[in-house]
Amino acid sequence: MTNPLASRRTRRRLGDAAAYAIAIGATVITLFPLYWLFVISTKPPRDAFASPPSLIYIPDFSKYISIWSTAGFGQAFINSILVVILGVTIAIIVATPAAYALVRFRPRAGRFIKVWLLLAYAIPEFLFVIPMYVLYQSIGLYDTQIGLALIYQVFAVPFAVWLIQSFFMEVPSDLGDAARVDGCSELESLLRIYLPLAAPGLAATAVLVGINMWNEVTIALSLTFDQSRTVPIAVAGFRGYAAIRWQEMATAAVLAVVPMIFFAALAQRYLVKGLTFGAVK
Amino acid sequence: MTVRPFRVRTGGTDRGGRFLVPLVLVMALTSLFPTLYSIYMSFFDWNWGERFNFVGIDNYVSLAGDERFRTALLNTFVFTISAVAVEFVIGLGLALVVHRIRRGVSIFRTLLLVPLMVSGIIVSFIWKIMLDPSLGIVNHVLQALGFAPVGFLGDPGLAMASIVLIDLWWQSAFVFIVLLAGLGSVPMEPLEAAEVDGAGTLQRLWYVTLPLLRPVILVVLLFRTIDCLKVFAIIFGTTGGGPLTTTESVQVLAYRIAFKQLNMSQSMTMMVIFALIVLVIVLLYQRFGATSGEGA
Repeated sequence: MTNPLASRRTRRRLGDAAAYAIAIGATVITLFPLYWLFVISTKPPRDAFASPPSLIYIPDFSKYISIWSTAGFGQAFINSILVVILGVTIAIIVATPAAYALVRFRPRAGRFIKVWLLLAYAIPEFLFVIPMYVLYQSIGLYDTQIGLALIYQVFAVPFAVWLIQSFFMEVPSDLGDAARVDGCSELESLLRIYLPLAAPGLAATAVLVGINMWNEVTIALSLTFDQSRTVPIAVAGFRGYAAIRWQEMATAAVLAVVPMIFFAALAQRYLVKGLTFGAVK
Repeated sequence: MTVRPFRVRTGGTDRGGRFLVPLVLVMALTSLFPTLYSIYMSFFDWNWGERFNFVGIDNYVSLAGDERFRTALLNTFVFTISAVAVEFVIGLGLALVVHRIRRGVSIFRTLLLVPLMVSGIIVSFIWKIMLDPSLGIVNHVLQALGFAPVGFLGDPGLAMASIVLIDLWWQSAFVFIVLLAGLGSVPMEPLEAAEVDGAGTLQRLWYVTLPLLRPVILVVLLFRTIDCLKVFAIIFGTTGGGPLTTTESVQVLAYRIAFKQLNMSQSMTMMVIFALIVLVIVLLYQRFGATSGEGA
């Protein structure tokens, strides 16, 4: 006779083992395509698409040097950095006081503004891409980094407001009230109390907004040409008319992905909150 | 004098207003202006050039009978419903599995999140390489296992399923991470009570855990639905809408009509109708209790 308690324990152990097996399997499926991208970028050209694929090879990193001067990739990298810095700065400057007002004053217009932000975030890009194309052509912002950084606010501001709001809500409102009694203006209480306390959250917000801008495709494809082309568009550019330069494309793609993974790791503690738009505590 | 502290304490709405000015200006420029402009332009016939005539509702009339637009709408809905449904099942399953694990949760969470950090256009190229009918690794594996090679993106019958597959790899992690966080905030008492009452694992999931997660689930579904309706990069980078028009989503079609056929007014009319559909769907979610921002 087996002891019922022992059999229950065995069942639990089996369940745990199955859970680990599933989690490990999912992780392998998740990471393999990125590993394969790296393999394609470092194989000697002859072996890259050999059939059957050679599993053991001597990696060749020469493309990681030459890519910077190929098809404007280096310039695109600089463009992307500029767009992200400009765009994140604008988003934080606009979203921080707004989030503060929504949390601190609960204005009557707050509900209206929240619905507006959600709808603006939901608008399919081509509704605003074409009007912005026309506007930008006429005021000289077409194919500029600042123009791109500006239109990116349509998704960056709602996202940043949701996030910063959730960080501000964690600041005890007693602190703000005490500051008022001590004669602090609202601006001073934002700058001296709320900002320092929510600083890590704000930094995480900046990182997540930056990642979204770095990866953006639809708008960048339509509103840039060659002067301010961003990294994803440059990667797509290796798909020429004659032939697709897979290895250059893979190299450029790896170089585009790695910094984002690095930044995501930096902001990891706040990542969950960011990805859930502050909906989960 | 006694009025002042009272007013200061509650904070007047007029005082909050000036903190919202930059937001209203920026959002007006980036969302309100282009929306109104698109609606305005949808009543004209314009091709980027000299031709610019008022045509009333002609654009809407011709779009109503446009087979290709209807196909694109249908494709977009098929893609959205299948991707959101399967991603929800995968994400929920993974969240339950990882929630059960005691050691190494943060490692799995970090590694499983990586696809979310990859640009859609790069995702599409990775899978174009892997799903290639003759050179791709997936077909190598299938053939090694004794299966016939599969056309994937080039096969009209499988192209849409392949796009959904790519999206599953890319975005399931979003559902996973949100639901995992949600599971962490579910109180233990109701679950224990249900176990004492003899509820099995599935019954506890269905009658206790999922109802408690309802607000979080609604937010996940809302944002996945929005993203899927807007699908562009992973189609643009793989099939471009083909073969024929089997994977052409509304946004891919709008891009083609505006930038390849240079028919601006038709593209904008299409987007006005589509944006309206998207907004109705978003507001429906809100009615069912999905809130953005300030938490469930």
